[in-house]
Amino acid sequence: MTLFNLGAREAGHYAEPVTLADLVEQGEARSVVLESGDEVAALKPYLNRLELVVLRFPIFRDGRGFTQARELREYLHFGGEIRVEGHVLPDQADFLKRCGVDSVVLPEGSDVRPWERQLKRYSVSFQRSVLPEKVLDVGTRVAR
Amino acid sequence: MTTAIGQYQYDQVDRDFLAARIEEFSEQVARRLDGALTEDEFKPLRLMNGLYLQLHAYMLRVAVPYGTLNAAQVRAFADVARRYDRGYGHFTTRQNIQFNWIRLEDTPDILRLLADVDMHALQTSGNCIRNVTSDEFAGAAADELVDPRVHAEILRQWSTLHPEFTFLPRKFKIAISGSPNDRVAARFHDIGVIARPGDDGRVVFQIFVGGGLGRTPIVGQELYDSVPEERLLATLEAIIRVYNAHGRRDNIYKARIKILVQALGVAAYRNEVEAELAQMDIARYRLSPEMVASIEARFAAPDLQAPEGAAAVLAEQRAQNMVFDRWVRSNTHAHRSEGHIIAVVSLKPPGEIPGDVTADQLDRLAGLSERFAYGELRTTHLQNVVFGHVRQDQLYDLWRGLVDVGLGAPNVGLIGDIVACPGLDYCALANARSIPIAQKLGARFADMTLQEQIGALQINISGCINACGHHHAGHIGLLGVDKRGEEFFQMTLGGRADDQATVGKILGPALPEDDTVDAIARIVDRYLQERSGQESFLETLKRVGEAPFKEAAYDTV
Amino acid sequence: MKRAVRVGAGEGLVITANRLLDGAIVWLSADHTWQTAIQRAEVLVSDAVSERLEGVQSRAQADGVVGIYEIAVRPEVGGPVPLTMRERIRAFGPTVHPQFAYEQQEGAGA
Repeated sequence: MTLFNLGAREAGHYAEPVTLADLVEQGEARSVVLESGDEVAALKPYLNRLELVVLRFPIFRDGRGFTQARELREYLHFGGEIRVEGHVLPDQADFLKRCGVDSVVLPEGSDVRPWERQLKRYSVSFQRSVLPEKVLDVGTRVAR
Repeated sequence: MTTAIGQYQYDQVDRDFLAARIEEFSEQVARRLDGALTEDEFKPLRLMNGLYLQLHAYMLRVAVPYGTLNAAQVRAFADVARRYDRGYGHFTTRQNIQFNWIRLEDTPDILRLLADVDMHALQTSGNCIRNVTSDEFAGAAADELVDPRVHAEILRQWSTLHPEFTFLPRKFKIAISGSPNDRVAARFHDIGVIARPGDDGRVVFQIFVGGGLGRTPIVGQELYDSVPEERLLATLEAIIRVYNAHGRRDNIYKARIKILVQALGVAAYRNEVEAELAQMDIARYRLSPEMVASIEARFAAPDLQAPEGAAAVLAEQRAQNMVFDRWVRSNTHAHRSEGHIIAVVSLKPPGEIPGDVTADQLDRLAGLSERFAYGELRTTHLQNVVFGHVRQDQLYDLWRGLVDVGLGAPNVGLIGDIVACPGLDYCALANARSIPIAQKLGARFADMTLQEQIGALQINISGCINACGHHHAGHIGLLGVDKRGEEFFQMTLGGRADDQATVGKILGPALPEDDTVDAIARIVDRYLQERSGQESFLETLKRVGEAPFKEAAYDTV
Repeated sequence: MKRAVRVGAGEGLVITANRLLDGAIVWLSADHTWQTAIQRAEVLVSDAVSERLEGVQSRAQADGVVGIYEIAVRPEVGGPVPLTMRERIRAFGPTVHPQFAYEQQEGAGA
């Protein structure tokens, strides 16, 4: 597999993430993998030791992971790494990044150029995100 | 370039964005052609750019944000119709225009042509927030409290490539109106927004949630009575976040927000929204008065100057020409400014295809808008076109211009003003053809005196349960169904989309096409017999109940 | 799995798709090429269809076609005529725009 970084944070090396159910049993685990139906709020008791949250996309059309990432950043103020694995498309790179995702797991040998292109594509967005983006004019748009 | 009337004026940032979006789409097409994207992956991506694969070709649905167009944009549609389609376009029930004979390989060029006039096809399909619709009489109607277009534009921008809400469980439609007389079907949208002035001079919003047609027609419920302007975006984010997290993804027919609202109940849904709002960084979503003012500054208002006596000129012309007078009766609406009037162009000439316009007609409409309506046109969710600001002393000349190009039908709001989806002749989802029965009904009731006698009667026709023809909301609704390879039509009565929104009730067994036309003729006859005074069809139906109409519809002896 | 198309006595099946580049409707001919006229379509018996479908599915990307499926037809002198209204509209054009009708051989009307 290949790890692709969406932003400045370098993907770290962690022990194999445990499932949400196992996290309850093994409170010492530092990385967890959430399925798209899992509630992010369930991570609250473990936040201070979690270093990595992996969000699994069963298929690229299942957009729950975007909300999970955003809740992690905006509601739980999670400062560790958020990683996405499963079926995602390079066309989603910017959306993932703006919801707070740091890295994406790609199949070995994937062409990362479409991912790189997508991250450079837009110089403006029309809504605020969890990233510290610079507000343009009075604030309906942000610079990228 | 002067600032556009009634629509947001793009700047270089907006134009650069559109160019980048088209570049992205071109690359997606290239990746599809070289096999890097499968069809299953490409389909949602092209849909987010308004491109469907229909029966005969690709169909491109171009966004008309809040239904407002300028003359150059209408000419661009004519250009697309001539160069890339077969000389015509089709106005939809969500104020957009679609072209039925498009080639995938031409699409990037078409999008560039549209971008030259600040138009796009963004989010006219796909499981994202769709093009925001609004009141076709915005900024002109005498009954309007707030011009909804500024907030519609804010919602358009906010929803554009929204990072969190581009892969929702299902499509998501928002409509916004600023009049107590709901002309946007707010209660039949995923979110319906009604703006009105608040106590402090800022706008407040009544918000309905969970309305919709389709397989499970439901009237939306009020979620909030008055959301302050500053909280508008935060509230919408919270509503859609709950939906994105909890809306069903296991069954496409149960994936709309209306199903979730029904399952939870509106009170519980409100609690969920409140729980989101309590955790959200509200400052980040604040819609400040400065932000609203900056968007508002990009809209130009027409300098409405009518000569004294404009109304008298119109009265005189009406007195002299009965045909014109009839058209004025049915196809105009009161304007808030003295000496002005709103004109509605019917795209439903008897026997023709509802909503279709030829390239020549588009060019002519553009020219008429420049001569008589400050270069501005609007589209309606009833598939008509509106000139918002017409001087009363010039209305006659406008009408002459319309008659010249075959668009003088005096039937707006009458039985000939039929709404119909493209149906099985074009659509890959349809079960039955909608257009032929619309044409037959149009021809059956072609007599304009009869139409005027019948009065307000809205017929809506959908070719399948997805209900693009909004049949549940029609006073008489027709749903095409397939019965062992034959087209049948199921009739509903009593639907309406206004502030008394009601889902029509099924009358009885479905009938074949010609029998359906006859049944409707008998229903109308029965209404004229039962009617008391100047009662509308809906009023008579309410008073006498459906029994006499059911009897008439199935009385085949 | 999609439900098998039912075929009555004297009826057959043809395989159809849309072309990726322009969306045009195409029909699978006996020489395994995709043709725009239904008259060129090969009429198959039920047993032959699944194998043929598998073959064309695997070549879909190379052939530049999408949405491959089979439909029931009645073979007529002028060529196969689809049994359903939907497929007759695909084969012969929209019923409401006679000027856009697809070219047909003599007697092959719906």
